Amino acid sequence: MKRLNQSELSAVMAPVEKARGLPNAFYTDPELFELEKKTVFEKNWSCIGFGKDIPKPGDARPVTFAGIPLLTVRDRQGQVRVFQNVCRHRGMKLIEEPTTFKSVIRCPYHSWCYELDGALRSTPHVGGVGRNTHPDIDRDGLGLFEVRSKVWMDVIFVNISGDASEFDDYAGHLMERWSEFDGKQVFHGGPNSSLTFEVKCNWKLAVENFCESYHLPWVHPGLNSYSKLEDHYNIVETNAYSGQGTQVYNPQLDATGRRFADFAGLSSKWDAAAEYIALFPNVQLGVHRDHFFVIHLEPLDVGTTREYIEIYYASEDMCGDAMGDLRAAHAAAWNEVFAEDVFVIEGMQQGRHAPAFDGGKFSPVMDTATHCFHHWVAGRFETG
Amino acid sequence: MSGNGDLNMRILAGHASGDFAGLSDLYAEAGLNAEANGEIDRACFFFTQAYVFALDAGSTAAAADLRAKLVSYGREL
Repeated sequence: MKRLNQSELSAVMAPVEKARGLPNAFYTDPELFELEKKTVFEKNWSCIGFGKDIPKPGDARPVTFAGIPLLTVRDRQGQVRVFQNVCRHRGMKLIEEPTTFKSVIRCPYHSWCYELDGALRSTPHVGGVGRNTHPDIDRDGLGLFEVRSKVWMDVIFVNISGDASEFDDYAGHLMERWSEFDGKQVFHGGPNSSLTFEVKCNWKLAVENFCESYHLPWVHPGLNSYSKLEDHYNIVETNAYSGQGTQVYNPQLDATGRRFADFAGLSSKWDAAAEYIALFPNVQLGVHRDHFFVIHLEPLDVGTTREYIEIYYASEDMCGDAMGDLRAAHAAAWNEVFAEDVFVIEGMQQGRHAPAFDGGKFSPVMDTATHCFHHWVAGRFETG
Repeated sequence: MSGNGDLNMRILAGHASGDFAGLSDLYAEAGLNAEANGEIDRACFFFTQAYVFALDAGSTAAAADLRAKLVSYGREL
């Protein structure tokens, strides 16, 4: 691994007018990517999936995040819990595929059984054949390893290291900014409202492209007609999140005049506003008066990222058959926008192999959101 | 009554099909047979198998009964 150069990190953390971007190694060096798993993903609140994928008590999904096998499960009280996907006995991985536990989580190796809250329930034959107890097997101390987790906007966040600030502090600025959406029941649009891309770039390039509007007239010319560059504004919250907003969001009607219902109780600000924000490190959200979407970035390796995009609506009625064609058209429209971004994020990845590239030069006006993200990443390495 | 060979075959079939509720019943039957013969260790092996599969299958009442049986022999908490 190229030795981390403190002067390069300091250059990233300089004011945007003078700053350089992150060095190439942050996008191309596999060893730096391994270090990033610890300093960026494990020590902060990272997205690992969505509550809608485990809707009922007992529903469970295995997730591998930053190389760590995790198990997400909805417990009997309806709370999402996250555990390390490993039995306390012999370290066997507990589940390989999504499943629904009827009662307990049973290890497939020696059948140690855990409650959905992680407590160890049964240890068959542990004291000899037909003897399920032993003085040295303290079940109270052998529950599953639980990972700190929080569900917000249906996004499952985890803090693997366990020592990040409380989620409500970590994301507090954004929760306050979007307080009108916070706590509302949301409804996923179903299979047609899920999009997936696997892109040949480092995960950070997907964040950087998402949070700035500078590229819109060039990469998304179709937006020029109703969402011009001058209608957008930058959103920068140092050490927390960044993004962009528009002041001319106008939900499109279909030929019969149908449109999606609005979230209840929104102020007039949201009549025409929409905002697109990257909550560092790996989740991107877009809120509109009639829908929101979430993008979960899963870093597969230093140069490959999978994007899971989920679209949610304001009421169950929007998710029925009667609105199916509208949802499909809606998802197709977003898919077109996201697909237009692929060549730039993959092109920037290829550009990061040019040895002379020095992190680049930010526009002090247009790239403040991007610089905010670089500043945050560099800060993780200074403190990590 | 079918012999142990038949019960073994049904247990193997239950494992092959993944019918855990059925497996719980079959292991419980094997446990009762052993218990009737005074083979308590052997019975508790079968009751344990039955208990675990009842837990897995969500057979709450059966699991409670089997646990109580094992507790009575000092084999479960």
